[in-house]
Amino acid sequence: MNRSARAVSALALAAAAWAPARAQDPRIGNRLDAPSRAALVALLDSARAQGIPVEPLMQKVNQGVAIGADGPRIVAAVRTLTREMATAHRALGTVATADEIQAAASAVHAGVPAVELGKIKKQSGLRRSLTLPFTVLADIVSRGVPVEAGVNAIRSLVGAGAKDTDINNFQRTVSGDIEKGAPPAAAAETRAKAVPAGKPDDSAPQQL
Amino acid sequence: MPEWGERHTTLEMIVQELQRPVRLDETFERRVMVRVRRLHAERRSRGWIAIASRITHRPGWAAALAASVVAVVTLGLLRGRPAEGERRGPAPLEPVQFVLVAPDAHSVAVVGDFNDWGLNDGALIATNHEGVWSVTAPVPAGVHRYAFLVNGKQWVADPSAPRASDDDFGMPSSALVVEDSTR
Repeated sequence: MNRSARAVSALALAAAAWAPARAQDPRIGNRLDAPSRAALVALLDSARAQGIPVEPLMQKVNQGVAIGADGPRIVAAVRTLTREMATAHRALGTVATADEIQAAASAVHAGVPAVELGKIKKQSGLRRSLTLPFTVLADIVSRGVPVEAGVNAIRSLVGAGAKDTDINNFQRTVSGDIEKGAPPAAAAETRAKAVPAGKPDDSAPQQL
Repeated sequence: MPEWGERHTTLEMIVQELQRPVRLDETFERRVMVRVRRLHAERRSRGWIAIASRITHRPGWAAALAASVVAVVTLGLLRGRPAEGERRGPAPLEPVQFVLVAPDAHSVAVVGDFNDWGLNDGALIATNHEGVWSVTAPVPAGVHRYAFLVNGKQWVADPSAPRASDDDFGMPSSALVVEDSTR
């Protein structure tokens, strides 16, 4: 092969390298109908273009397939998640990790305004991961803690330098209080005050 | 990030193709030497300026080719780059124990985004100890969604873990944050 032919073949290979960006993610597979697959490919492309992590979107597809949801329902769920992750991404800024964005999207889904998540991120600085605080915020709000009370509790915990084990313990005690009949807001406000002095619980799931 | 990996593999193929030595025919050396001797003779008679004028060069083509390669590769890299915040490499695996108290269950498995929700037979099978079902498995550091699959059909959230608020499919699931112990 002379140099001209080699250059042409190199360009052809480069063009081939360009093509897969628009191709279907192979993990979408053939479990879904063609229109749903096409819609998902478009959503994934859109997410990539916005700098949104696509792995959670792919796992939403897998979850839907595993549960037996039909294509349109899976597409709707992925579309919602894409929108919420985009909202979270904008609120947290480019310093946020993929995990923080995903956790923040859960909080947005639960009803927490993204601007509040952005404030917590600014307050915490770059070194403190907010993945668990946002996950717990989403949890307690979904259990009935009013958004304002939940945000205030998490903000005070993060501001006080609470560790993840403390915040895990906070979630467990608040959810336990609510299950026993405590008003959700009162449970969150009261338990937030006690967290820095609290001892972490050892309930499952336990990271060993 | 398979897209990035695929693109990386393709770029490596391009580099390998460009680096592969050109196979020369057996007469190459003789033809080169003939040409060198002729150039040498011409240099003696006409000097360096004449030799330089005989060297064939097409700067326009070369520049266009170089620009094309650079543009295609650069655009490919940009399109294939990981999203902001996306992990640059595989997350470290951390052992996690999942426990569900289910005295009446016949089987309990754990499915989640760390095993593609049990698709492709990847569910974690829990063992029973007097109604306390448990399984320990390595899970990548990061945030995850999971659920227990009881008796092969009933989806149950982990009562001791945060809820996943986005149960879009009507089945409860839980959230798990696995810390990276290497940090």
